[in-house]
Amino acid sequence: MVGDAGGQEAIISTPDGFRIAVEAASSRYLEVGDWDAVIAHLSGGAGAGDGPDRAPIALAPSLAAAQPDLVDRFSEAGFTVVVPDGDDPAAQVADVPVAVVRGELAVAETGSVLIAEHALGDRVVTMLCRRLVQVVDADTIVDRLEGAADWLRERRGKPGFASLMTGPSRTADIERSLTIGVQGPDEVEVVVLTATPGGVHEA
Amino acid sequence: MRPFDERYHTALEDPDVRTGLTAFQRGWRESRDAAIADLEAQEGRSFDELRQELAAIKDDVIANWDRYLDEFTANAEAAGAEVTRVATPGEANELITRICRDAGVDLMVKGKSMVSEEIGLNHHLEAAGITPVETDLGEWILQLAGETPSHLVMPAIHKRKERIAELFERVLEREFPPDDIDRMVKVARTELRERFLASGVGLSGTNALIAEGGSVMLVCNEGNNRMSVALPPVHIVTAGIEKMVPTYADAMKQVRLLGRSATAQPITVYTNFVTGPRPGQRQHILLIDNGRSAMAEDPEVAAALRCIRCGACANVCPPYGVVGGHAFGHVYTGAIGLVNTASHHGIEAAAGPQSLCVSCGACATVCPTDIPLPTQILEVRRKVVEARAPAPCDRATHLGIAAFGQRWLVDLGFRAAGIVTTPLRSDGVTKVPRWLAERPGLRERVGWRTPPAVPLRPARDRLKRGKLDEPPRLAAQPLAGRTVQLFLQCLSDRLAPDIPKAAAELLRAAGADVRLPREQHCCGLPAYDAGEQDAARAMVRQTIATLEGVDDVVTPASSCLAMLKHDAPHLLRDDLDDLERSQQLAGRTYDLISYLTAGPGRLPAGALDDGDATPVTVHRFCQASNTLERQDAIERFLRDVAGVEVVPLPEAEVCCGFGGSTSVRNPELAAGVLDRKLGCLDQTAAPILITDNPGCILHLRGGVHATGRQVEVLHLAEYLARRLPGAAVRQATA
Ligand code: SF4
Repeated sequence: MVGDAGGQEAIISTPDGFRIAVEAASSRYLEVGDWDAVIAHLSGGAGAGDGPDRAPIALAPSLAAAQPDLVDRFSEAGFTVVVPDGDDPAAQVADVPVAVVRGELAVAETGSVLIAEHALGDRVVTMLCRRLVQVVDADTIVDRLEGAADWLRERRGKPGFASLMTGPSRTADIERSLTIGVQGPDEVEVVVLTATPGGVHEA
Repeated sequence: MRPFDERYHTALEDPDVRTGLTAFQRGWRESRDAAIADLEAQEGRSFDELRQELAAIKDDVIANWDRYLDEFTANAEAAGAEVTRVATPGEANELITRICRDAGVDLMVKGKSMVSEEIGLNHHLEAAGITPVETDLGEWILQLAGETPSHLVMPAIHKRKERIAELFERVLEREFPPDDIDRMVKVARTELRERFLASGVGLSGTNALIAEGGSVMLVCNEGNNRMSVALPPVHIVTAGIEKMVPTYADAMKQVRLLGRSATAQPITVYTNFVTGPRPGQRQHILLIDNGRSAMAEDPEVAAALRCIRCGACANVCPPYGVVGGHAFGHVYTGAIGLVNTASHHGIEAAAGPQSLCVSCGACATVCPTDIPLPTQILEVRRKVVEARAPAPCDRATHLGIAAFGQRWLVDLGFRAAGIVTTPLRSDGVTKVPRWLAERPGLRERVGWRTPPAVPLRPARDRLKRGKLDEPPRLAAQPLAGRTVQLFLQCLSDRLAPDIPKAAAELLRAAGADVRLPREQHCCGLPAYDAGEQDAARAMVRQTIATLEGVDDVVTPASSCLAMLKHDAPHLLRDDLDDLERSQQLAGRTYDLISYLTAGPGRLPAGALDDGDATPVTVHRFCQASNTLERQDAIERFLRDVAGVEVVPLPEAEVCCGFGGSTSVRNPELAAGVLDRKLGCLDQTAAPILITDNPGCILHLRGGVHATGRQVEVLHLAEYLARRLPGAAVRQATA
């Protein structure tokens, strides 16, 4: 389940290490087989609504571009899908409560998901939507932060915006009292896809 | 910024500051220690190893600055950023204003940036008709209140929730119940969201510049910082050039220590790596010097450039806990502010807060980049003393220190004071008559701390050969055949002679031949503390000369040991001969507890168990914990060798507030720190408080007496001497 970060010592790589760290960061952790299960998960649950009542959902443009079929699959499940790629992507997602993004990799040590969000459309979904669903392939989980450093290093010098995200936004600025959900998302789910061997996405 | 004295008194008068900060410091300490312990377990390495590794990375950068700056610049420019090196705040402000004007922008959203505070950007922008909006919750609160940050990481930590609720009610014209922090926090989203979307320019600081990738690393928890960076069409980065690290892997090492040291998080919620602008955006990176290259050239302060602005040094600082960052520091607060203010804002700005530092050394124990902050603070203090036209009180200090260097004068003075105060001497204290105690100058010094009695005869008289009784004998005689020189310490010699007397008795009971070099005076610590390094050097040299020869040197004052072991080598670093002599002396000098536990005087278990089981508690002299790295040695010794129950004192190693000159120059501050200590003492309900530094003892005794507490404050030597065979009889007949 937990990958190896270039021969790093495996102090953290207990099978559950990533899950424990994700939950410690106040995110929800989920393991599912494939995207169908992700869609089913988002379709269910309280407040999800049914058919035409279903809340709209935003897909990161980079995700929609890498897996064009996803837009149709979410639509078929009754979602109004927003892919914010126009002139004013912020306005497009202003009232969309849920966003789905794909992580480049995840770090067991900290429970972080590394999200590449170079284009404005990719940025607004992680920043403006209240519930953020981060989907990451099981075999991209590295043990340590150095695994993320390797990923960044391979892309060095190229323009980019990559963020290790660890839990919902929070603050302790008032009397050091911890409040979850400040300016960014207040609910984060980390969904690990177990059925995508070799990091190859379903077409 | 307002003058220091005004800031200091405002802070003292605001009861919220002290209550809030003490609670904050306690909470932080507990969670940070747990987070660091987890890290040590995870990495299988100690905090010291990890921070030294990070320090080495930063030192490499400081030594090879130009190379890394060039590498960063080339990579960032390749990714589309415009990188400019600026020397002064003026240049930086002008460039930023020009960028805004060129873009036709009059609203700027700001992520948290201490460098923008450093250069006074907001004032400059406002004067140019551009409105800066702080988006970090704490910074936004302060902007609404017209205040500046009092902490590097938690800018509004000095404000209680009630005050913030009042502020929000006034500015936002809505109701805010003070207990509903959640509501106060969440209003930031609704109030600020529009600004992010409407603003034409976003400004951020940086936590690291990564040379190998041209990336700017930004960490935050709220998400505001990344929004300021990511959304507006122009992104400006204000970066101090010391933020450079060579590689992404190095940055990760910083991440591991930064989050834990700042907020006890293994990692902040967002750790963003921004490389160049997004499509359709422009990015300007300002690499700001403002005194940094000069710091790199100055070996006394260069290591301060390792700072990653985690705020930990403020979080353990007892004076900071009393007055907060508006007084303890300038723009930069906490211990690092006492160091780097001189380089970024000039010696005048650095001068005021200098006397607030009690030299307890706590900051150096938690700094994740291992900056020798206490030594650097004293170096800056020296520069302040040298550079400034002295104020009357500085001149008085200078004269006082010069006089203190003369043993005969000190002797004479104390003997005279002993005679003059004879009618006021009572039960170990000086009872200052009310008419005198209420006079300004004395009022703030004696009300909260009763001054000690000044005895007629110093310890050196009482310990003359022939005047001493035949000592009691312990069954164990570990010191039989050893000659021990007793270093009295200037203060206890004259103000607490019972302490060295008890120490001598104890050492003789264990078999030692105790000698008292007549020429001994002062190790130089008070002078060093006051920034008077020439006087300090003279005194330490005199002490070395006096104590040469004979087996071991033992002192009942741990502060002198810290001076000889830790500070003397620094003071004498330019004179190899003296340096070697000081090191030799340090090698055979012990304070009492180390002599009795780890030195030649090691006593066996039960050796001082006389059956008296009255519980005691122990204050750990701060420098012993922080500088000499002594932990629970006294507690263990009391349990094992004296067989007594030791009630743990909360915050045992936190300074009591004596702090040498601090309690003279800033009595209100010393009173605040003492109050915290006495509050902890109350929690133990122990009738006896033991510690082993005479300064702490006089300070604690005075505080206990002035507040009417029923606690006996004893030096370890005094307490142990009472447990020697036949001690009760001797006391009764004395
Ligand atoms: S000096 Fe050390 S402890 Fe203080 S803010 Fe800088 S890195 Fe943190």
